[in-house]
Amino acid sequence: MVRYFTNIFDAVSSAIVGMGITIKHIWTKPVTLQFPDERQVLPDRFRGFVHNDTDKCDACNICAKNCPVDCIYIETEGKGKDRYMTRYAIDFNKCIWCSLCTENCHTGSITMSHDYDHAVYLRDSLVYEFMDPRKHIVPCHRQTRIQEGFWVEPKEEKPKRAAKPAEDKPAEDKPVEPEGESK
Amino acid sequence: MEALIELLRSLPGASGMSDQTAFIAAAASMATIMFMVMALCAIVFTWMERKVAGFIQNRYGPMRTGRWHGVAQAIADMLKILSKEDIIPAEADKGLFIFGPILVLLGSLLAWAAIPWGPNFIAADFDLGLFYIFAVSSMVILGLLMSGWASNNKWALYGAARGAAQMISYEIPLALATIPVVMYVGSLNTTDIVVAQQGGIWNWFVFRNPFLFIAFFLYFIASIAETNRGPFDMPETESELVAGYHTEYTGMRFAFFFLSEYANLFLVALIASMVFLGGWWAPIPGLPNVPWLTFVIKGILMVFLNMWVRWTLPRVRVDQLMHLCWKVMIPLSLLCVIGSGIWMMLSGQAGV
Repeated sequence: MVRYFTNIFDAVSSAIVGMGITIKHIWTKPVTLQFPDERQVLPDRFRGFVHNDTDKCDACNICAKNCPVDCIYIETEGKGKDRYMTRYAIDFNKCIWCSLCTENCHTGSITMSHDYDHAVYLRDSLVYEFMDPRKHIVPCHRQTRIQEGFWVEPKEEKPKRAAKPAEDKPAEDKPVEPEGESK
Repeated sequence: MEALIELLRSLPGASGMSDQTAFIAAAASMATIMFMVMALCAIVFTWMERKVAGFIQNRYGPMRTGRWHGVAQAIADMLKILSKEDIIPAEADKGLFIFGPILVLLGSLLAWAAIPWGPNFIAADFDLGLFYIFAVSSMVILGLLMSGWASNNKWALYGAARGAAQMISYEIPLALATIPVVMYVGSLNTTDIVVAQQGGIWNWFVFRNPFLFIAFFLYFIASIAETNRGPFDMPETESELVAGYHTEYTGMRFAFFFLSEYANLFLVALIASMVFLGGWWAPIPGLPNVPWLTFVIKGILMVFLNMWVRWTLPRVRVDQLMHLCWKVMIPLSLLCVIGSGIWMMLSGQAGV
């Protein structure tokens, strides 16, 4: 008998507590980023579409050799000092975005950009010819995209919610002064 | 209604109308207006539901359709539903299949006749108002059972049977919770019920009596169960994992169920505000008051409360639902009736 009344009381009070929590959420800022008007701020080492600055590239072939899926096509003419590149293409149908090509480049021409939204209609459009001025590829890097008219100016860039800094753990474990937590 | 007849008579060339023609014309236009109000309900409250659900869940809800916060989303949904193919299963009982949604819609539509929007602003002012509303709303249960049976689908039948059991069970505390109010007013006429609450917020029935305060919440919970919403959506969602009583319906027939669900939602919210929360009277007597606007705003607040409950509480299991109704809510509502009567007698308001 007593349980009957405590049940009613528990049900009502827990429902009220729950509703109190819910109503507070109406006034918290929604976590949604409204793409394409708002974009996420990406970490520095984000691996987006690969970009090769062909002005700096010296056709050493290291990136092509390192690629696990052989998606980089390089054609050169000439020998020795007269070597020049005639074709540099990356086939993004095959690319796995592992960034092995960028790790060993000694001129720093090949980099991972921060682009991820290059959806196209034809599979052939995903073979990016970096040296062919006739083939109109979707350029990486915001400046080139703005010049070519491919950019939608995001209204507001919301920074990703910062992860809780994990400083307390190392400080407790080791008496050694930990170096500053990298971002 | 009389005002509408006068209005129709005053139209150019219509002053010679016979009584019957004027009556029929007025009644037909009332019914059309009520149907448009129902359709408007569906549009406004589906949008509101999706936005409220979104903000409670820390997200936005519709944002893209229409210029501002997805206001055209409901209209887009309506257009989509209307353009769907009308499929009737081969083995389904064709007559009942077609007739079920019509009954559901009719049950929702008829009850709007007795809602008072203002002092002289009611479609049909008869002395049976409140009883009529509860009686007519029961047609929805018939329509539900018909649709579930006619779908020739086991799970649709399960959903319909559970839905019918739930709805008829919760009709009892729904009606019992309004009985103390009827005792105070002495009449079932909805206009009288609202008129008896004039004079400011402390005269509203919800605050007159601790038993009436409990009765208000009992009415509210029973109304959520009546409209198959919120934590009591066994018939439409439990079987959503499989089917549900409106699974075989597409296009316009589904739109009937959809429309009647949101119209029912607004209807019970309006009844709650009319019976307990003072109808068209403003909380402070001296305020400039547009009666129907105040009434509608109170209705919208009750709808918001309804949505708030829906998006907070988890679904109730069918046996818990029945236990709640028969073993908790009916004794409590009977207690409210008796307690309220004793209170009335002791405080001298009974007129005995």
